[in-house]
Amino acid sequence: MTGSMWDSLLRIDLSGRKAQAWPVPADLRMYLGGMGTGVKLLADEVPPRTDPLSPANKLILTVGPLTGTQAPMQPQSCIVTKSPLTDGILNCYAGGFLGAELKFAGLDGIVLEGRSPDWLLLLVEDGRVSFHDASPVLGKGTAETEAWMKSRFGQEVRTLSIGPAGERGVAFAGVFSETRTFGRGGAGAVLGSKRVKGLAVRGTRGVGVAQPEQFARLSTENLEQLKAACAEEYNLVGMFSRVGTGAGMGLVNGRGGLATRNHAFGQFEQAAEIDGYAYAKKFYTRAVACYGCPVHCGMLHKFRKADGSESWLRGPEYETMYSLGSEVCNGDPVTLAEASQLCEEYGMDTLTAGVTVAWALEMGEKGVVSEPGLTLSFGNREAILGLLERIGRREGIGDVLARGPRRAAEELGGLGVAMQIKNSGFAAWMPRRMKGTALAFATSNRGACHKRAPIGAEITGQIDMNAYEGKAALVKSIQDRVNAIFTLVSCRFHEFVTPAELYPRFVQAATGIALSLAEFERLGERIWNLEKLYNLGAGHTRAEDSLPERCFEPIKGPASEGAVIERAKFEAMLDEYYAARGWDRDGVPTAGKLRELGLERYASLGRPAPGPRP
Amino acid sequence: MSEPASGWMPARAGFTLDAEKCTECERCMSACALVKTGIVRLAASRISIQRRWPEVPGIHVCRFDDCAGQPCIASCPVEAITNREGYVLIDREACTGCGACVESCPYLAIRMDAEERAFKCDFCAGKPACVPECATFALRAGAGERS
Repeated sequence: MTGSMWDSLLRIDLSGRKAQAWPVPADLRMYLGGMGTGVKLLADEVPPRTDPLSPANKLILTVGPLTGTQAPMQPQSCIVTKSPLTDGILNCYAGGFLGAELKFAGLDGIVLEGRSPDWLLLLVEDGRVSFHDASPVLGKGTAETEAWMKSRFGQEVRTLSIGPAGERGVAFAGVFSETRTFGRGGAGAVLGSKRVKGLAVRGTRGVGVAQPEQFARLSTENLEQLKAACAEEYNLVGMFSRVGTGAGMGLVNGRGGLATRNHAFGQFEQAAEIDGYAYAKKFYTRAVACYGCPVHCGMLHKFRKADGSESWLRGPEYETMYSLGSEVCNGDPVTLAEASQLCEEYGMDTLTAGVTVAWALEMGEKGVVSEPGLTLSFGNREAILGLLERIGRREGIGDVLARGPRRAAEELGGLGVAMQIKNSGFAAWMPRRMKGTALAFATSNRGACHKRAPIGAEITGQIDMNAYEGKAALVKSIQDRVNAIFTLVSCRFHEFVTPAELYPRFVQAATGIALSLAEFERLGERIWNLEKLYNLGAGHTRAEDSLPERCFEPIKGPASEGAVIERAKFEAMLDEYYAARGWDRDGVPTAGKLRELGLERYASLGRPAPGPRP
Repeated sequence: MSEPASGWMPARAGFTLDAEKCTECERCMSACALVKTGIVRLAASRISIQRRWPEVPGIHVCRFDDCAGQPCIASCPVEAITNREGYVLIDREACTGCGACVESCPYLAIRMDAEERAFKCDFCAGKPACVPECATFALRAGAGERS
């Protein structure tokens, strides 16, 4: 044991229905946990050219040193796997209670390997695993599946599941955990390819820390910082605590940065009908938190569906208000809630699902694609809901859309207006409006990622959002720092309030591992480079670090001021970024950089192997 | 567990609860477990949040003098439960593990530990560890107007 870490991963071989507690070796321990553990394990054990939906891929679910402890805002767990959406490395996150339960079960994580012959539900109780027949819930939605698992295994278990989209290999199927979602990159399809419908975890062992008194002081200090932020009227985290992540939509819309109509416009007339304040005003609302979180940004709403029936939804989150709201010109909060529910039921990432639907609606209006029974046009309720259902079932045009926006556009036309990077749909931000965010989207190892972008500084005007200058070094530093924080699996919002210097102090008090802030951030950089090598090995090139054609045309609408990305300036910014990273002009880490990061032995990982893929 | 520890405050033992405000974050539970056992093991918590998703959860904890009749005291065949100036406490050494108090408690606030001894909230001798953890004031110290 290293303080709060058990130094134990549960490896489950699904092909042979065997499980084994695997002691975490010392070199892996230095990656702390969460994303660090996942990325190093995947790089060590799954060759980059592996077919993501083959038994050779692995799904690595991890927690970190602060998970389950009294430190606030540490509920999340992390999945690392090879993505069926991007064909590169994926890291994705969900809040809720599963992470803490894994820790209480005596585990730092679970590695799923191979493929089961039959559909399974897995039950992990204090580190012991049992295999159960999933046929009673096959084809069922995520909420129903998890409710069934609780009735079967006990109400106190914490669960994750996939829906029909994951069963059918939708490339952006998510893994759901009690309404929280490992959304991005198609982890749900990987779980489905392993024929695992759900996982239930029960832990009774508890968790301690290496330095209890110091840890208690830090937790209290941090809790007070967070409480103070929540009490501030204009603090973003405070706004999240009152109405959820949809609080900021008005600000973004006012700045002409709210992606609308498949990113053609930067302002949505009906934004005030679907933002966080609108939901809080129109519907019964109850704030619900993840484990140990004083911010409670989750908003549970009771609403009436269009057919008059009463329903509950936790959310929609801000990103969904964009992807299934402004992006598809849907200003009806009920339709938005139903669309979000459909994604939850089928088990799909609302972001890539919405972006793919938006693209299909535009192509429908242009007469390029059509679908029997649906009028493909923006704002059309039946088209939005109908496309989501067809994707979830892989029926009709949904079968093509289920491969992701780039694959669909490559097949049907309209690639330049498929708002994706590496086939992953854009998160809720406009690269043209915010040049640093443009670079962060383009260079993201998992594709169009908003979690490692200078969004807050750009949208609030702390820095000039139109400037290209200085953004390369800024984006690099954010990517490295957030990667480091994701080794702990802190909530992304935690850092909005928490001073960076608290992280290494938390790590030391939890585990006894002493490291400086610079070393902590260097760990994030090491992970970023390892991810990059993995993607290069999978066949990614500089061309993958780019933006769709639409980003090089001005945004329409007055508030956006015709914001555009100039190609030459973007390429120069990318050169500058590669140089700041110690990479060559093709984005390949140099030998010197790898030596500096202690990654020499991974150099060959970045060279794509010739021949057919294994 | 018996005499209130030094540093006890003469405040009336009890809580003001407002489950409508409870976000189910379980910080009260983890803080309680930590102060009582030294590790975060939720099963050891003297307060528990019962999920009734999506409806408002139940908060299960001793109500002390807000509890009418305090039936746990009368239920105990060996008189291990006493009310000392409002602090309803279980003498763990005297407890025989019969479980009668668990059955008697209308607030589901008494449970049995692994060694078959009853345990419940002791109000941390006047400074309950759970209360400062509650960011929404669903849980406040002091016997309540809204119990």
